[in-house]
Amino acid sequence: MWFGWVSSLYIQPDYYFGYLGFEWVKPLPGNWMYTPFIFMIFAAVGILFGFLYRFSAALFFLCFTYVELLDKSNYLNHYYFVSLMTFLLIWVPANRSLSLDARIRPRIRRETTHRWHIGIFKFQLACVYVFAGIAKIHPDWLFDAQPLRIWLQAHHHLPLIGDLLREKWVAYAFSWFGCIYDVFIVVFLLSRKWFAFAYFFVIAFHMITWYLFPIGIFPWVMIFSTLIFFPTAFHEKIVRFLHNKLPKHKGEHMTKPPSSEPSPWIRRLLFAYIFIQIVVPFRYVIYPGNLFWNEEGFRFSWRVMLMHKEGHATFYLRDKATGRESEIDNTRFLTDTQEDQMATQPDMILQYAQILKEHFDGKTLRYGEHEFPISDPEIHAQIYVSLNGRPSRLFVDKRHDLTQLPYNLAHREWVEPFEE
Amino acid sequence: MRLTYTFLVIGFLTAAFTGCKDPKEETTPFDKEALLRNFADRIIVPSIERFQSDINALQTSFTAFETDRTAANLEEVRTKWKTAYLQWQAVKIFDFGPIRNRAFKASTGTYPTDTVKITSNITAGGYDLASINNIDAIGLPALDFLLYRNDAITYFAGDDPYTTYTKNVIQKMVTETQQIVSAWSSYRATFIASTGTETTSAFSGLVNEFNRDYELAKNAKLGIPIGKQSLGIQLSEYIEARYSGISLELLDNNIRYLDNLYKGNSFNSGLNGVGFDDYLKHLERSSLDGTIRGNFASIRSSIGAFNGTLEEEMNTNTTGLDALYTQMHGQVVSLKTDMTSAFGVLITYQDNDGD
Repeated sequence: MWFGWVSSLYIQPDYYFGYLGFEWVKPLPGNWMYTPFIFMIFAAVGILFGFLYRFSAALFFLCFTYVELLDKSNYLNHYYFVSLMTFLLIWVPANRSLSLDARIRPRIRRETTHRWHIGIFKFQLACVYVFAGIAKIHPDWLFDAQPLRIWLQAHHHLPLIGDLLREKWVAYAFSWFGCIYDVFIVVFLLSRKWFAFAYFFVIAFHMITWYLFPIGIFPWVMIFSTLIFFPTAFHEKIVRFLHNKLPKHKGEHMTKPPSSEPSPWIRRLLFAYIFIQIVVPFRYVIYPGNLFWNEEGFRFSWRVMLMHKEGHATFYLRDKATGRESEIDNTRFLTDTQEDQMATQPDMILQYAQILKEHFDGKTLRYGEHEFPISDPEIHAQIYVSLNGRPSRLFVDKRHDLTQLPYNLAHREWVEPFEE
Repeated sequence: MRLTYTFLVIGFLTAAFTGCKDPKEETTPFDKEALLRNFADRIIVPSIERFQSDINALQTSFTAFETDRTAANLEEVRTKWKTAYLQWQAVKIFDFGPIRNRAFKASTGTYPTDTVKITSNITAGGYDLASINNIDAIGLPALDFLLYRNDAITYFAGDDPYTTYTKNVIQKMVTETQQIVSAWSSYRATFIASTGTETTSAFSGLVNEFNRDYELAKNAKLGIPIGKQSLGIQLSEYIEARYSGISLELLDNNIRYLDNLYKGNSFNSGLNGVGFDDYLKHLERSSLDGTIRGNFASIRSSIGAFNGTLEEEMNTNTTGLDALYTQMHGQVVSLKTDMTSAFGVLITYQDNDGD
């Protein structure tokens, strides 16, 4: 089924892990959840053909971001990237040429545009690559070739390259090449001399990742987005080619170039956007402890392919009145994906504890002739996590009543320290 | 210029890592396909075939009992039932492919069995054993009640609905087991070739079901009856095979077969073949392999130390059962967290960028 995953991710779950401050974003009831996806299809077609362009871009951004905000179990850097790119699309006039809008209203036609309309996308792509590269300058990645060592060996059955992938040096080569590629590729894409050569690497790099890792459409998104680094002449050639294929249309040809400098307001907003994009990935420095272990300041930072984390979480309901304790069957409350994500992410662990507390608070549990009216129960958890191929170790100790711990952005003392 | 430099660095690194490759690594490298082949040909298919002959033997003994309803013949039926139920522990692990598609695990082994439903089915007649509503009124657990309830022999009298019901339950298992055996003979090739890491691959399915079955043994066979999910209140109605009292033997067999699978031991000969342990050693995780082996061994020796049935032990020896449960819990972390993550098997099927 095309839409099978919509149901398993956004209709079937009983509970959702909202983002801090965005818990009010809730899924639509039942099959209504398909509507944002249907809107997205229309909006994408609108963007493609430049029809009701700005409206389409805004609609796509809103629907996509709405869906992403529903449940952080489904967070991916790639989805965040799509949200940002479509947000930027709203503010640029990408429908001024070769579009249905320009055909319907010829007076909006333009041959030139502000430099920032192109530059901001280059900046956004540069952020993804450079920050992903900086994040790879990490001992696990460079000196242990983890997690690539785990992921590559799992493909040892592939024809031709399978035997290579079980070699340790190949994992190191991939790690180092990936790091150097991410850090430097933008420099070469920006160079007039090297961009074509660099683009060859872009294709090769993303095709390899597409072949080996389940990262969906992301490689294609990057392969096509990076074309924006090509010189204007290249894009003009494509535009002219398409123009000639289309039936001629009447109407004056507006060539009045816009003023070359953006207005002060736009400039301020651009600076603000760029500032946020640069600062957010570095926010982890204000937290003590191991970033991969604690995951404080981990999301929205282009930390891609860096971590293989596996956890096992046992939650306990403790009745305050009797001191008795029950193990929770997580599958009663969460989907496999949610349980898997929750077990290794401290903020989700606290959210799950609240879900459990609210579920049991005020209920009377009956076992045979025994009755237990549950009021204000404690929720404890014993969690073990394995990070990047290390043996698992205690992540959350059972001694904490998780319902009493604050859910906010402050450093979480209750996560067991990570010691090498 | 800088690009040339980059190439130099890459070339240098490649040379460096090739250069320091360990020269003594000349043994045959681990191969997932060899593991799947070993599992299919020496463990899964022989286990299912043995189960088929056990179920057929059960049917034969029941036919004999039908013609001559002596206590000795009933005892023979019980013996065959017990053999089949113990053997079922070797089959139920493989809840993927044909077994999953036909919901064979649910129809053969759902417990606790609903004795009220069974009784009313027998009284009312006109039941449909294939109906999802009857899932807890059929299979081996239903026979536990039908064959072992107090004065069971008195219920089998003449051409009665009780006998017919029992016969139908057995017949259903015979038919379904036959279907599984033939389905597996064509599924085998698919299974062996499916070595990927995505959840749809046989290898991932196997690892996930291995873990799931282990957790099921821990929770359903032990944890739930002894009160681990009910604020410490024991739930004896959740004991598996309560009427025959073979719960602890079933648990022991369950763990034994998981242990054998882990090691890749052949079902028929017991000889060691390629298993999860070899994969871990190949990944240089020998100490984890040692931990898992040690845990399996100590769990089995703890189970062996109980003298009574699970129900008797629940009345007299809760400390011993608690200790066993804790032991079993520790093994979940080794299997589910350490082993699974070492294999690089994905739990989820969605796009994943590893963050």
